[in-house]
Amino acid sequence: MTMAPNYAPDEGSWLCAHCKEPLQQLKVPVFYLGSAFDVLLPRCPKCGMTFVPKSLAEGKMLEVETLLEDK
Amino acid sequence: MIYRRTQSLCPICLRRIEACYENVTPKKEIPLSSENPHETVFLTKTCPEHGFFSVPIWRRSQESPVPLFTAWSRPKLPSYPEKPATTHSQGCPYDCGLCPEHAQHTCTGLVEVTMRCNLNCPICYADAGSPIQADPSLDQIAAQFTALRTQSGRCSVQISGGEPTVREDLPQIIALAAEHDFGLVQLNTNGLRLAEEPGYAEILAKAGLESVYLQFDGTCEETFLHLRGRPCLERKLKAIEACKQAGLGIVLVATLIKGINDHELGDLLRLALSLGPNVRGLHLQPCAFFGRYPYSLDTAPRLTLPEVLESLACQAPELVDARDFHPPACEHELCSFSCVYQRSESGLTPLKASTCSCKEKAADSVPSACEGADLAKRVTQLNWKASQDTSTPGACDSFSNFLAKTNARSRFTISCMAFQDALSLDLARVRGCCIHVVTGDGRLVPFCLRNLSSLHGHPLYPRIRTS
Repeated sequence: MTMAPNYAPDEGSWLCAHCKEPLQQLKVPVFYLGSAFDVLLPRCPKCGMTFVPKSLAEGKMLEVETLLEDK
Repeated sequence: MIYRRTQSLCPICLRRIEACYENVTPKKEIPLSSENPHETVFLTKTCPEHGFFSVPIWRRSQESPVPLFTAWSRPKLPSYPEKPATTHSQGCPYDCGLCPEHAQHTCTGLVEVTMRCNLNCPICYADAGSPIQADPSLDQIAAQFTALRTQSGRCSVQISGGEPTVREDLPQIIALAAEHDFGLVQLNTNGLRLAEEPGYAEILAKAGLESVYLQFDGTCEETFLHLRGRPCLERKLKAIEACKQAGLGIVLVATLIKGINDHELGDLLRLALSLGPNVRGLHLQPCAFFGRYPYSLDTAPRLTLPEVLESLACQAPELVDARDFHPPACEHELCSFSCVYQRSESGLTPLKASTCSCKEKAADSVPSACEGADLAKRVTQLNWKASQDTSTPGACDSFSNFLAKTNARSRFTISCMAFQDALSLDLARVRGCCIHVVTGDGRLVPFCLRNLSSLHGHPLYPRIRTS
């Protein structure tokens, strides 16, 4: 299955602070309130720490989250 | 049995007095029997000068699927104002606000732009229309928006009154609100001008209006005659059509009075759903008795939250179940119930996400009130406006796929808020309030306190009137 778009960092190239490895665009399973999503996100290939770009966190991801929420 | 102790006010002299929730009252003991099939919890209190008072708060039938008073709970840790506008002086409810003891942030701020009105409803919380009070200037309103934005962040703003559409400069007021970047710009209106003036809804939408909080009490003219003093149904439906054409979200808001329109809840829900996805929700308000009302405070017909919940579920069993509804994340648990639904051609399915969210947390983890306020803001700001299609054409990742098939147009909210009057006031509920009216000098006062008046009509927080 095609995973585009690739949610790359908004700017710059990033290293994992712990492993010093360059982040790679990898498939990440995201879970929220009983729903699961597979997306390509910058991730440390060694420890799995994942970076969510600000534009995604405040944009599409927030919208998906809110659509799943009740108050 | 006494369930909980709190504080309230004497409904006559408005002094602060001790109060408690109990299932029988010393003056009115009604044993549960086949003749009295209701389980009722009363708020009771005694003023040293004016005596004993009690009012039903939680009334349910024995077989009701609605939880017992003791089971209806959603605790939250207090979130106090970062920069309180007032200091502690006489204590709650006399120091608004917000004072340092207020335990919840603003979810929705109301700015009253006029006390004039083009209806003269027998029931009006704001006692609008008479005597005449001068409208605030645009500069004064701008200062109120700024005060709200500064104290409460990106909350929702509701332009209210009186009837805001009687002001010719309402588009400028809406534009001012939009400039302040609130999370939602909503208009509280009776809808008459929206129905009668072609193009008016478009003008308001272009100015920055996103959502219309439309007074809509029932599905038959008898209800409007009783609550509004004239037939309104045709005009309300025209107003909805105008808002739909202008791309506005609409929330139908019904004031409920026992014996008048509480039998119409099912029909009201079915009508709301039939009017299309721009009608974003149905909001029910069992009548509280402040402002103007044709009853005596102590004998007024009262509906409690569980009665509304049970009536709705009984009257529309094909659409909702009493167990769909939950206490609020934001305001005090005794103030409301709600549910967000997924709508489809076959009906409504509850999201149930809120419950899921709680279970994900540790059992002993009580969320802060401001977490609940943030959640409530996100949910209403997304669901109460007409939704935009924000899916990315061609993108087929999981987020984009989800957004392509699920957007806010597929959601429908049902909510009910019980306001407090001089008999039912509970200071614990008031301290947890998130609906705040912005006063002329930029203070924030919980909605119920702003409108609360004594049995003899004396307001707790008088509006300045000029005749």
